[in-house]
Amino acid sequence: MRLRGLLWLNAISSVLPAALLGSATVEGRVELPKSRSAPVQAKRYEIVTKGGVLSTQPPLAVVYLDGAFPRPASLPTKEVRQKDLTFIPALLPIEAGTKVEFPNLDDTYHNIFSYSPAKRFDLGRYRPEERPIPSVIFDKPGLITLRCDIHEHMRGLILVLNTPYFVMTDTAGRFRLDKLPPGHYTLKAWIDSRTTKEKAVDVKNGQTLHVDFP
Amino acid sequence: MSFVETRDKGVARFRTRLFTTMMIVVATLTALGFYLAQRKVTADAERNLQQIFQNELSSLHKLEELRHAALADRCNALAAKSRIHAAIEDNAIDLLYPSAKDELRDLMEGEEPPPAQAAQWLHAKFYRFLDSAGAVIKPLNPYDVGELNGDTEAQLALSELPDKQQIGYVLENTQAGDRAIDEVIAVPIFSTDTGEVISALVIGFNPLELENKHTGMQSGIWTHGQLHLPAFPTASQTTLKGKVADALANSDQDENYFRVDAGGAPQLLFYKRLNPGSLFPRAYEICVYPLSYSLEELRRLRWQVGGAGALLLLGGFIASHLIALRFSAPVKKLALDSEENRAKRRRAEAALASTAEELERSTRYSADASHQLKSPVTVLRVGLESLLDREGFRPEIYEELSGLLHQTHRLTGVIEDLLLLSQLDAGHLQIASTPVNLSQLVDEWLDDLGALPDSPDVKIEKEFPPGLFVAGEKRYTSLVVQNLLENARKYNRPGGRIRVSAGANGGGVVLTVGNTGCAIAPGENIFERFHHSSTPSPASGHGIGLNLARELARLHGGDLRLVRSENDWTEFEVRFSGANGVNPVA
Repeated sequence: MRLRGLLWLNAISSVLPAALLGSATVEGRVELPKSRSAPVQAKRYEIVTKGGVLSTQPPLAVVYLDGAFPRPASLPTKEVRQKDLTFIPALLPIEAGTKVEFPNLDDTYHNIFSYSPAKRFDLGRYRPEERPIPSVIFDKPGLITLRCDIHEHMRGLILVLNTPYFVMTDTAGRFRLDKLPPGHYTLKAWIDSRTTKEKAVDVKNGQTLHVDFP
Repeated sequence: MSFVETRDKGVARFRTRLFTTMMIVVATLTALGFYLAQRKVTADAERNLQQIFQNELSSLHKLEELRHAALADRCNALAAKSRIHAAIEDNAIDLLYPSAKDELRDLMEGEEPPPAQAAQWLHAKFYRFLDSAGAVIKPLNPYDVGELNGDTEAQLALSELPDKQQIGYVLENTQAGDRAIDEVIAVPIFSTDTGEVISALVIGFNPLELENKHTGMQSGIWTHGQLHLPAFPTASQTTLKGKVADALANSDQDENYFRVDAGGAPQLLFYKRLNPGSLFPRAYEICVYPLSYSLEELRRLRWQVGGAGALLLLGGFIASHLIALRFSAPVKKLALDSEENRAKRRRAEAALASTAEELERSTRYSADASHQLKSPVTVLRVGLESLLDREGFRPEIYEELSGLLHQTHRLTGVIEDLLLLSQLDAGHLQIASTPVNLSQLVDEWLDDLGALPDSPDVKIEKEFPPGLFVAGEKRYTSLVVQNLLENARKYNRPGGRIRVSAGANGGGVVLTVGNTGCAIAPGENIFERFHHSSTPSPASGHGIGLNLARELARLHGGDLRLVRSENDWTEFEVRFSGANGVNPVA
């Protein structure tokens, strides 16, 4: 997990303008809800709804640094695949303005749509060979619930954030954000569709700040 | 009052009584028939109407079940739709109705059918979704989902989301000012994720109506405290409404019926809860059946029963007449017979009384006569005896006097016998029974016979044991024996014989006295009182001896009879009661 998060950060930092490059680091641990099931070794996780609250199973959190950051001119395209009648990844955090493609890797039709206030769209029914790959640009921050009109049980989440500084925790809740620009921010931890914890942080160059979300 | 009159009166009274009884029985039966017929007709009518009501309701329910089943399928499919879920769960209520529109399009499409065509039972008038609190989610474009005014729409809300189908009825005030009733069905929508109820779809229909198969039947619906019975006259609706309200207020039953007078005629009103257990307000199917048909039937049956009663009464009258006649005949005869019997008895009683009187008189007379006779005879005898004691008469005179004295003795004997007889006849003679030595008695009398001066030359044979005792009074026993022995001597022939034998026989003693001499003519009743032999005899008696002897023998519990009288031999047999324990065993 950690390796993967670092890869992502590398990817993000490579496209950031040099002026914004920072050297500060925030790391810590988010207290995740207890998972009833045993820890899953597989990399797969899914979206579950419980009492109208969507979260990942096993529980994961997205930690991000909230603030007013200049929007980059272009952002890398992301991807949410449909494979075996599930969304992969089930939870995708992106920066606002990111284009997400929805390739169909199944042998059946899918009809991805969202009624979420942050973004309503409907890709219509399409087969795997559909080209160009149907995509949507998410320009407004918020949580988007992905559904398939044909496969009612399919759920996916896209967390559109205002910031380029975000990371997903591992299953133990550990996270690390680095190359942060110094400044006064609010550090937020998205845990589920209803729960986002936040803490004010003072990020200084060259320092590693330790923040826990109990 | 004559016997015939009395009899006729009795018969008439009997007939009247019989007829009255029959009248009462027939009248009671007729009244009972009336009562039972009325009860039966009423109960039958109510049962029939109830049956009709139930049948019609059940056909209605079948239709409704079909509707509900079809709706349930549709709603389940709808609830499984991602877009509906997305709209509800992702707070995109504005997209809810548009998303459902496609699904429910066929339900809403087409011309609204007239209410009578219940076959269009799947044509919805409107639909609404309820939010998680049970409140109505207002549509953005009411045209697509059926327009409703605010009041009606408010009635669709529920206090909570239902977890199963709910049936309700809402009042709708139409633009024309009429009031219509809509049937609504609320179907829950379950989350496919959690199984929780996240919403409900409420669909409105024209209510299914009972088919008007029964003449005059009116059906309607009661809900929200309002009666919706459009076919019923408005004037009577208020009455009916009050009655239904009372009935529903006073009873928890979901189903009942009662009689009601509305519209100037008796009606049978049925009601049945249409939506038992529903979250919507209670609604009842109301059915009003006019009872005129059953009343007519009742009237006809009354005539029939009345006619039957009248016929029965008439038949009873005739039958009672005949029966009275039939019964009065033997009664008459009985009356007649008893009257005759009474007359006969009276006559017999009178005859008996006169006979008894005569008998008494005669008995008294003979007793008196005996006494009156005894005194002069005694005077005569005493006179003759004193004359015989005198001396100085010629010998012929003495002989004459002696003969006269003998006659007075004879006269005395006759008088004594008569006295005894009269006592016997009057039943005044009492005997003191003691053991009497018969052997000794016979011996004494035989000795006396031999001592008599005029005894003829007869040979006497004795054949009895000594010391033979009989029960009786010695005086009278002696008389019997004397009588028989004297007769045997008197009616004997010279040189004849007398045989006297006696012996115990059974419980008694039999004494037989036989003598030679002329036989008694057959058929002659020698035991008759004052009997005189038809054959002239020199030795005739006064004719009461044998009679007296037999009477005395019978008085002693025995008898005297003539055994035989033929060929110069006459034999009498007298039976005495034996003296107990005294006689030797024979």
